[in-house]
Amino acid sequence: MSADAGVIAVSSTCTPYTGAGTLQREQELSRFLAEVEKRALRIAEISIRDRDEAHDLVQNAMIKLVRKYSDRGEDEWTPLFYRILQNGVRDWHRRQAVRNRVMVWTGRAKDEDGNYDPVASAPDPGGRTPDEHLQNREAMQALEKAVRELPARQREAFMLRTFEGLDVRGTATAMGCSEGSVKTHYSRAVHSLRETLGEHWQ
Amino acid sequence: MSNPKDRKDEAKDDLFAQKAGALFRESADRLDGQAQSRLNRSRQAALAELDSGTVTLNRWTQWAPAAGAAAVAVVAVVLLTGNPEIDPTVNPGTEQLAGDFELLMAADSFDMLQELEFYSWIDIDAELEGESATGADVG
Repeated sequence: MSADAGVIAVSSTCTPYTGAGTLQREQELSRFLAEVEKRALRIAEISIRDRDEAHDLVQNAMIKLVRKYSDRGEDEWTPLFYRILQNGVRDWHRRQAVRNRVMVWTGRAKDEDGNYDPVASAPDPGGRTPDEHLQNREAMQALEKAVRELPARQREAFMLRTFEGLDVRGTATAMGCSEGSVKTHYSRAVHSLRETLGEHWQ
Repeated sequence: MSNPKDRKDEAKDDLFAQKAGALFRESADRLDGQAQSRLNRSRQAALAELDSGTVTLNRWTQWAPAAGAAAVAVVAVVLLTGNPEIDPTVNPGTEQLAGDFELLMAADSFDMLQELEFYSWIDIDAELEGESATGADVG
């Protein structure tokens, strides 16, 4: 009884985010999330090929970052955010693998839910000629396809380094591995992609 | 040492990465209004966590085990040093202190704290019994 009261009293009197401090932190977090969210959505979407699910993963990552790491320095947020997101992507793939096994076992093949069409969902062009837009869209689609075919760790390293622009250290934090591993995964990913896409893509 | 062929290859890798990055950023910037709106809602939902108190609760619960152990340690020291019946300079008493401290630091120490008066009474009672049996002078 008295212990419970003590916990409530501590929670209500030791609130670290109050007044101007809360507002400032909220503004910093808002700026950070707004800056990173579009790329995060695309990275998640490329990883799991489903925009709806990608939205859910990004939202979960945002909430977890705010809950657990809002008191960390701003420079730590990007690798921490992507670490949460990558964990979400890995969990999604695990759940999907189980789901697919169950679907096969129950005799239901992948159905209309899986008819992802990147062309139909591609956004409107802006500021480019139709030819340029078409070329870039096709190049991006080819790149996405090749990236999806990479082994998971290579894909993560490539997307975090090239798409999000994280340095080796930040990528290592996000992936939960050593900097040496990041360099190896990234190098293999780039060589593999160049080989898959061919000279004409470059 | 890297030879010219390696350097040329690295340069091609860099060019490839630059092009891939530019294409990706363009595709992210061209996200449709619906996706951007949903991202905005997600961001607001996440920021609402700051106001909900969940963040504070997590910070408290994160430190709860350490704070609990510290509280137990403080209570143990106060009780044991504040008890004139026990002289920590005498070996048997010191051993007892160590035993009591270990017991208080055990996982169920919170339950132990609630029953502290009871255990203290048992302790004093046992000491008095020991004195009367051996005739030893503790003070």
